Amino acid sequence: MAPGAQFAAKRLGKELTKISKGLPAGIVLVQGDNFEEWLLDIQVLDSNPLYMGQTYRLKFKFGSSYPIEPPEVVFVKLPDRPIPIHPHIYSNGIICLDLLGQQGWSPVQNVESVCMSLQSMLTGNTKNERPPGDEEFVRGNRLRPKDIDFYYHDNNV
Amino acid sequence: MSSSKAILLKEEGNRYFQAGDYVRAEAVYSKALIADPLNPTLYTNRAMARLRMQLWENVIADCEECLKLSPDSSMKAHYYLSQAHLALRHYDDAVEHARIAYDLCVQTLDKSLASVLAQVLKSKKERWDDLEKRRTRENSDLEAEMLSLMERERDEALRPDGDETMDEGSRREITEEWEKKMTTMCDVFNKARSADDKPRVVPEWAIDDISFGFMHDPVVTKTGKSYERASIMEHLRRQNMDPITRTPLYPSDLRPNLDLKQACDEFLQENGWAADW
Repeated sequence: MAPGAQFAAKRLGKELTKISKGLPAGIVLVQGDNFEEWLLDIQVLDSNPLYMGQTYRLKFKFGSSYPIEPPEVVFVKLPDRPIPIHPHIYSNGIICLDLLGQQGWSPVQNVESVCMSLQSMLTGNTKNERPPGDEEFVRGNRLRPKDIDFYYHDNNV
Repeated sequence: MSSSKAILLKEEGNRYFQAGDYVRAEAVYSKALIADPLNPTLYTNRAMARLRMQLWENVIADCEECLKLSPDSSMKAHYYLSQAHLALRHYDDAVEHARIAYDLCVQTLDKSLASVLAQVLKSKKERWDDLEKRRTRENSDLEAEMLSLMERERDEALRPDGDETMDEGSRREITEEWEKKMTTMCDVFNKARSADDKPRVVPEWAIDDISFGFMHDPVVTKTGKSYERASIMEHLRRQNMDPITRTPLYPSDLRPNLDLKQACDEFLQENGWAADW
């Protein structure tokens, strides 16, 4: 194991201990049996008609430099887990959120705080639309989410 | 002449080491040392190969040789010495050399700070575990010894004195009295044992928000927030920005948080298990 990977594993182990004692409402750990990839389900708890009654699946991928480097976080599509509609979420599940980018990430963030940020990003949204250029992006993108240089033009959404 | 030959051999050794062939690497470093026996880094390179081969005593010899040749500068020599001593269960030496390596890393802004910190914590934790194991054993030895002394006292008291025979009533009284004393003593030992088993909780103020580990060398930022030095340095290597306020932050802005460090040290004195928490 690379020296970095030990630190990532130690920190993720601590997060897991904390998670096992309870997560905020609407966040559930689905799979966290290794220190490379976790699955979580999130729900929006208020009555926003865009997301009411739905559950969304998130996939976290951690590199050996986590938490110095951000995790890669995407929504995953399953028969009962749609990709939430949002002007910052592409239909392939890629999320455009400054917090998850190379510039916006901070090592004091964690899996729980990322889930909560995504919850509130959905809660506050009223636009029933995908980001501009969604179709071309989904067709053409070959980059890993964290290497995409999103332009965070509208942080109020 | 001989030193350029040594450099070539050193590079050859490094290639073997990179490839994971520690035995060949060690042999080639040894050849290099014949060519240039006064080169301190050749000793630490060989020590690094010998660490992988688990030749602890040889690691120690190489590192000490290196430190003789360049007394103040070799962080690596102290780092490897700590690892070898720890493997040999020389706990105090392991902690001491890890500490020296750590201080050298801090002074020179060495990138290995996080790895060396991990070695400091591991040595401290293993030293504590060993101490605790011995303490537990000493306590149960003491308990057994006390019990047998008390039994002897009781038997002494029950022994017929001269020709007088003791009546049943007094015999029972003496026996019950000693039984009671022995039970009380065992209770005291049991209470002490269960105090050791109390839930181990690290207070929030001692936890670093980046590594989520116990803080060993807290430093404070301009905004008054403290982090483990190795964690925040790792972050600042990537981005010169305060993790919370996202305003500019540089290594030179960090100050040791002496009061917090003292509080952490005091907690660790009583709760050595937390060192590598």
